[in-house]
Amino acid sequence: MSARSRIPNLGGAKAFILHRPHATTLALSRSLSAIGLVPVEAWPELPAGGLAADFVFFDADLGFDEQFPWRAGEAPMPLIALIGSEAPGRIEWALGQGADSHLVKPVGGSGVYSALLIARRSFDARRNLAREVESLKARASERQTIVRAVVALSEGGVGEEQAYAQLRTLAMSWRVTIEDAARRIVDLKTGGADERSRCL
Amino acid sequence: MKTRIDIGILFSRSGPYRLLAEASYRGAMDAIAAINADPERRIEIVGIVRDPAGNTDRYASLCADILATSSARHIVGCTTSWSRKEVIPNLEKAGGTLWYACPYEGFEASEHVVYLHACPNQHLVPLLAHVLPRFGSRAFFVGSNYIWGWETNRVARDVVGDVGGTVLGERYLPLGDTDVARLIEEIRATRPNFILNNLIGPSSYAFFRAYGDLCRSDPAFSPRTCPILSCNLTEIELPEIGPSANGHLSVGPWFAASTTDAAPSPSASSFYAAAHSAVSVLADRLTDEIRGGAGAMAFSDRTFKTRLGPIRIDPNTHHTSLPVRIARAQDGRFEVIEAEDGLVAPDPYLSRYDPARLMGRRTLRVVS
Repeated sequence: MSARSRIPNLGGAKAFILHRPHATTLALSRSLSAIGLVPVEAWPELPAGGLAADFVFFDADLGFDEQFPWRAGEAPMPLIALIGSEAPGRIEWALGQGADSHLVKPVGGSGVYSALLIARRSFDARRNLAREVESLKARASERQTIVRAVVALSEGGVGEEQAYAQLRTLAMSWRVTIEDAARRIVDLKTGGADERSRCL
Repeated sequence: MKTRIDIGILFSRSGPYRLLAEASYRGAMDAIAAINADPERRIEIVGIVRDPAGNTDRYASLCADILATSSARHIVGCTTSWSRKEVIPNLEKAGGTLWYACPYEGFEASEHVVYLHACPNQHLVPLLAHVLPRFGSRAFFVGSNYIWGWETNRVARDVVGDVGGTVLGERYLPLGDTDVARLIEEIRATRPNFILNNLIGPSSYAFFRAYGDLCRSDPAFSPRTCPILSCNLTEIELPEIGPSANGHLSVGPWFAASTTDAAPSPSASSFYAAAHSAVSVLADRLTDEIRGGAGAMAFSDRTFKTRLGPIRIDPNTHHTSLPVRIARAQDGRFEVIEAEDGLVAPDPYLSRYDPARLMGRRTLRVVS
């Protein structure tokens, strides 16, 4: 069971609102300040400071890719779509940006707090998942290295099973992953201790 | 010639939390009477009174009824958070405003509500900051089974966790349930340092009385070593509890002065004082509005003189800067044992909550 989340402390967090000046931005700014965030309105482009934002709200109706200083779907913070027209094309575009939650316009006082919490949770989950996938991919790509290391270790006449056990023991004593240990052994055996293995 | 203005009054003067609602009702009605009797005032307030009788499902329809059948745009009312959340959609639809004068669990800042009583940084957090270093950090939580208990206990769990404490149990009773035997048994078995009580009405009274019996059979459960903490207990409920309330702690913006010997009057409650204050502030704003001023909801940073003392309303959150007092019950009254200097600004989302500052507060002064 995962630990229960604490009092979500949003005090002082910066939220950019990428929307033309409108009753919606006014109501949203008020709600954000009431929750303790610092709202910053911007249109049409996200200014440089937007990169350091904790949350970005964006207009799904009139928004376009060039507004953002990152590629679609690669925002470094949680995104919340402000949806007015529920045209499928606009929703698809908002999803393409990687919206983590949304608010339906006109934005009133309610819904903002839950949109923030949902966006943050799903952004964190997505980021953790991406990190995990990346590390699994990296490990999967080292399968051949492991095979080569086991072959190298079993050259002295020990069996393949024992060679593998030896590899695991080495990884443990070096406090590195089994893939990294395999890489070192292969490098040592081939005599070509490259830049990377010296760094390890 | 006075301008007549309708104001809705929506309190349950019967049902499980009738004592609290009655105090609020009287506070509001007394304030209306005082305003109407004042020849200097340019307005006369007509109370449009509705009574949901403790039935949560009736609040929304009675709120709609007030807004539809009178010219009232402002309603003073609601006791439980459950009922407040029920009426907000009606207020949003009709452009009405609820003046809500009871302590609540925070995490809300509706444009259609003005919050006159304490939120957690003005009740729960200072009360725990008082108790944790003095009594210890082994906690037991009890509450009525709805949002006030759930959310207050959730925040309390974090605060207790921040000082390395333990929550030994967290138990809920349905509203109005008085079968507290199992709670008492669990408390006897787990031996906490204090009990946080978010039960309301008869459940709370039954719990205090049963805990009093436990204390008599086992002095380890005396209020001097294991107090019951409440964030909404005021003078008006002490007679229902009787001597078992003695020694236990509460927190609030206002407690009756304990200098007189007379029995506490029905107006001796922060529920009364807050509802009274709601009407005074509202009358002030309505007077400004008919004079062509900035309108009823323009609070700016000014101070209002009220039954709660001078208070300020934050224009952004519609919550009130309030005094914070921690008090101990004794023979039907409360003796204030600690008070924050000046007014404490509201922080409904606890966005300024800082665990590091919790125990090192220097703003407190011991008053007895």
